[in-house]
Amino acid sequence: MTVNRSLLARLLADYGIVLALLALCIYFSLATVSEQQPAGAPGGSQLAREIIRAYPEGKGTVALIVVRDSREDAEFASALRAEIENKGIRVAAVVAGQPSNARAELQRFSKSSSRLDVIACGQATATWTVFDNLAQRYPQLADVRIMSPKPYRGSNFLKPDNLLNIANQIAVIAILAIGMTMVIVTGGIDLSVGSLIALSAVTATVLLRDMAGAERAGTAAMLGCSVAGIAICGGVGLFSGLMITLFRIPAFIVTLAVMLVANGLAFILAKGQSAYQIPDSYVWLGRGAVLGLPVAALLMAALYVVAHIFMSRTQMGRHIYAVGSNPEAARLAGVPVNKVLRLVYLVSGLTAGLGGIVMASQLKSGSPTYGVMYELYVIAAVVVGGTSLSGGQGKVFGTLIGVLIIAVIQNGMNLTGVESYTQKVVLGLVILGAVLVDRLKQSAWNSG
Amino acid sequence: MKRTASSVLVALSLVIFGCAPEGTSKTGGTPSSTPIGVTPPESKGKIGLSVLTLTNPFFKVIADTLTAEAKEHGYEVIVVSGEFDVAKQQNQVKDFIVQKVVAIVLTPCDSKSIGTAIKEANDAGIPVFTADIACLSPDAKVVSHIATDNLSGGREAGNAMKEALGEAGGKIAILDFNVVESCIQRVKGFREVIDAHNVGKPKGKIDIVTVLPGGGAKDMGYKAAEDALQAHPDLAGIFAINDPSALGARAALEKAGKADKVRIIGFDGQPEGKQAIKDGKIYADPVQFPDKIAIETVHAIVKHFAGEEVPKELLVPTSLYRKEDAMKDSSLK
Repeated sequence: MTVNRSLLARLLADYGIVLALLALCIYFSLATVSEQQPAGAPGGSQLAREIIRAYPEGKGTVALIVVRDSREDAEFASALRAEIENKGIRVAAVVAGQPSNARAELQRFSKSSSRLDVIACGQATATWTVFDNLAQRYPQLADVRIMSPKPYRGSNFLKPDNLLNIANQIAVIAILAIGMTMVIVTGGIDLSVGSLIALSAVTATVLLRDMAGAERAGTAAMLGCSVAGIAICGGVGLFSGLMITLFRIPAFIVTLAVMLVANGLAFILAKGQSAYQIPDSYVWLGRGAVLGLPVAALLMAALYVVAHIFMSRTQMGRHIYAVGSNPEAARLAGVPVNKVLRLVYLVSGLTAGLGGIVMASQLKSGSPTYGVMYELYVIAAVVVGGTSLSGGQGKVFGTLIGVLIIAVIQNGMNLTGVESYTQKVVLGLVILGAVLVDRLKQSAWNSG
Repeated sequence: MKRTASSVLVALSLVIFGCAPEGTSKTGGTPSSTPIGVTPPESKGKIGLSVLTLTNPFFKVIADTLTAEAKEHGYEVIVVSGEFDVAKQQNQVKDFIVQKVVAIVLTPCDSKSIGTAIKEANDAGIPVFTADIACLSPDAKVVSHIATDNLSGGREAGNAMKEALGEAGGKIAILDFNVVESCIQRVKGFREVIDAHNVGKPKGKIDIVTVLPGGGAKDMGYKAAEDALQAHPDLAGIFAINDPSALGARAALEKAGKADKVRIIGFDGQPEGKQAIKDGKIYADPVQFPDKIAIETVHAIVKHFAGEEVPKELLVPTSLYRKEDAMKDSSLK
């Protein structure tokens, strides 16, 4: 009976986190509903239909298209142009650029007194004040209509762009959280991961700048420098593990000291400056996409699958849980406790190093100021994800949900315009709430 | 078990949900989501502002003034803070792009690493302006950079030091913060004036005997001034690159019982610094005008959208603030 009960409780606990995430997503989807402007090719087609309706005679009508200099706007303009030209409306010019370009074009029209009926704008260009009071400033253009696509209501949160943003934004923290989950499951803690982000990013970028030919470095060099950054962090993690197992120093103290050492090393290596002389293609990992999905997010997903299999299907994974539940019992049962501990701190160092590389790639530079306070966000994500700080319990996918919850709250608050002071209060309360749930869960288990 | 867990979740969600609507009403720039009567005549869109930190009053003033000034011109401002974390600031810029802001204003957390975020905004066709801190990344396009003229501010500080020490001259220390470009400029301007003053002077020279890192913060300024006093007990003046480090230096002087012998020149003109000038603790400050920076920034944005040319760089001059200015200042106690 008790087995059934605890299974049920466990299911509920896991389910509860997912429910909380779902509730958050639904809430922010509704809270961020605002006026959306059709953009890209569909927006262009929509505006084209409106213009055709407004000027049914077609032939003889002259339009000027004004958009910004971006890919989305270029698609908008070309769809719009193709469709209205099809109906015989002449497109005098397409301005793709700044308000000053539009102004120059307006002046040209006003001087040449050639015909102009409609200025077709994109969502952003319609707000340009360069088109205000046209009649007064350019009497020639008094009858010109300014048209832009009709807005509709939609959710900012649910836009595909935003969801991909979230996936990309969580990558660094989520990768670090894998190592941290393992460490916390053994009942330990690793405070050094934030500094290791900086150390890894700085090592890789400084090596690229000084040894591998800076902007002209090849793919192999970029790979080599990145691996060097990850390896150094792995080494630092292993060092922490050794100090903890050989000298029985508490993990909190060891990793606190290592945090300072790693941070200082990053500053020394970088000489306090950021290293940015790296090839353009270095951003592929952090900002590239494969089949429309961010590379960093794919890497993160792959690592989670591997970590999940490792933790739940291998002997070593079970050993990690055993060490966290009861180290003494684990030792007597023949679990190589010290080896397990060294391994988890090594993995934590490696994931932190990889996180640093991803960040260096996202920002196309390495700076010793990266990763400040990240250890706390990572620990928070792991705890929110249901891993108990007392060790022995926790799931890798729970951690992923925890990372997502924190990211969704942050993104949602940014989108709804919550002040940054308030954001901190909310995040703190969420973490507190999660620990509270963890406590209640444990007392429920103990009592029943 | 089921009941406790779910009630906690409900409580948790209340906490989250309870806070957010406060913010949503603030961003309600679209007529339909704003209460009747509060709607500005016509919304021209949103401007995204991400500052270095909101814990420093300087940036708070920039944020508040920019919001108010932009509202006058029909724009709504979304204010966020990077809190010194450039990765966080990059995410904020991405969120701005999703929200389709019409313009972005940044005080970058890192002059070089912010380049990729600005590039993304460039690619989305959104004009970017920087205030106070410049972007030094070559591939990022910034429409205009609006900042204090730190070089001439540093010169003013040099003149104030000449004035404070008078005919006698003497040994002085500089507490610098040489990882930030603006502070480097201040020291450069200061040195120019002092060097020019010393040319061909047999007596009454002002001698810069030491330059120590003041960290731009009280605790670091305190330690640096203590060390300077140990090495040079006959110090006559200290130039600190901002108010917190100047006040830290003042505390060290008071502890050493030399408060009356050493003149301090600060920089910034934050309320605490101005008060210290009134109390005679700091001799003078070249003051910065964060409100003017914010107003100039909004004007640059308005001009840009009106299709006018905006200069690449707009410098707002400082002005020297002495005790007699502080006596007339009604904002001080």
